[in-house]
Amino acid sequence: MLRVLDLVLGYSYEPVVEKVSLEVSNGKFVSLVGPSGSGKTSVLRAINGLLTPRSGRVEVDGGQESLGFLFQDDALLPWRTARENVALGLRIRKMSKSTALAEADAWLNRLGLEGFGSRYPHELSGGQRKRVAIAQILALKPKLLLMDEPFASLDAIVRTRITQELLNWVEREHLSVLLVTHDLEEAITVSDTVYLLSQGPRARVQTTYEVSIPRPRDIFACRRHPSFAPLLERLWKDMSDGMGAPRVEAAI
Amino acid sequence: MRTYVEKLWVRRLVSLLFLTFVWEVLSRTGVINPFYAPAPSEILRVVVTLFIEGTIFSHLEVTFTAALAGLVFGLALGILLGFAAALIPIVADVLEPVMMILNAIPRVIMAPLFVIWLGIELPSKVALAVVLVAVLIFFAVYSGIKDVNQLFVDRVRTLGGGRMILLREVYIPSVTAWVLGSLKVAVGFAFTGAVVGEFVAATRGLGYLLQFAQSTYNAALTMGLIFLIMTFVLLLFICAEALERRLLRWREHGPHPSNG
Repeated sequence: MLRVLDLVLGYSYEPVVEKVSLEVSNGKFVSLVGPSGSGKTSVLRAINGLLTPRSGRVEVDGGQESLGFLFQDDALLPWRTARENVALGLRIRKMSKSTALAEADAWLNRLGLEGFGSRYPHELSGGQRKRVAIAQILALKPKLLLMDEPFASLDAIVRTRITQELLNWVEREHLSVLLVTHDLEEAITVSDTVYLLSQGPRARVQTTYEVSIPRPRDIFACRRHPSFAPLLERLWKDMSDGMGAPRVEAAI
Repeated sequence: MRTYVEKLWVRRLVSLLFLTFVWEVLSRTGVINPFYAPAPSEILRVVVTLFIEGTIFSHLEVTFTAALAGLVFGLALGILLGFAAALIPIVADVLEPVMMILNAIPRVIMAPLFVIWLGIELPSKVALAVVLVAVLIFFAVYSGIKDVNQLFVDRVRTLGGGRMILLREVYIPSVTAWVLGSLKVAVGFAFTGAVVGEFVAATRGLGYLLQFAQSTYNAALTMGLIFLIMTFVLLLFICAEALERRLLRWREHGPHPSNG
């Protein structure tokens, strides 16, 4: 579905990431973790065409149209209502206004936002705005979701609920996902593969981990899986070693 | 909240009426010289006479025409130049220093120059109002586009939007908010341009009347005209505010809803 080959990215002389390669196969959930400044978001932006690589290749089956990008902020246009925001991508893809709005309403209903379509973003709660942003992306029927710490700004309860709902959706629809997160537990909970980037600048893929927890997953139940704690400990250790920081074993 | 606002209105009105009453008493009893500060009732009488005799209407027509034409052309010019400067770097290189200088100086000092160039009739007044409004709106549009939230640009681009869609979905709505936010100030600027232009050299208009009243030491007429201009600007100000509230109803007011 997605192949990133020897990607080099940078904003100044020294590259942020150097020779990063990763792969997301069809229907797989892949996470990219790493310390702050390791260039995780830059990799995602390069895949989505928002950042031009210095060198390397990004190959997406089906081209850019098969991608859906979920930002850290909901990034809804404040002058558009919820349904107009959801319909925006459809309209850009030449769908008629009435059909796009009807489709938007259907997606809002599916995501539990029935009756909220005519509200402006500032009239919605953080969780509701995030659902609108998800509806906006899913309405375009992407094959690969790119997510940049999409739920970081939400409180723990809402975050858990929305993560589980999205995970259910991804598993049911066999979507491919590349998630950027700094939350190692979240990465293991949802992913099939976790890539750990080393400390930037010149960040590289330090280690790749396969997660063997069976699907469908419950984000609470899978934390009790026998492979969860050892994998989390390995990730912590490798990341701490890579950063040259003291290990935080008490946190595990 | 509503009760508080209503009470605030009442308090303000009562204060105003009280001050007017004190002024009236002081002027009538000669504590303050009515030659310099005539009683409010005398000012009202002069203004009412202007309307009853009908002499004010041709002056109002001229001033309103100059102010509204200046507002419309100033808005159009400011928006056009603001967009051009924000989207075409070479235009920004040329325009930015000129606009900075025009913004830094009190632009009403250009009134005599416009009289020399365009004569003492309407065009010189419109030109002054246009310059006052256009510079204000230029910076509103220019800053509006420059400071547009990059997140919205990225959002529309990742949804597949090109330049035209970005313009329609992001830049124009962002700039509209800035322009509407400046509209109230622009209304005041347009009237300033018209009245000051007439004050410098004219044969009709509220500014001309004001100049006439000043040259004949007619304090009642001077104050009456000042209050009249204030009233008209205030009414247009209220209209601009209503338009802003209606068109920008998507804007956030008050506390944010909860996270959940």
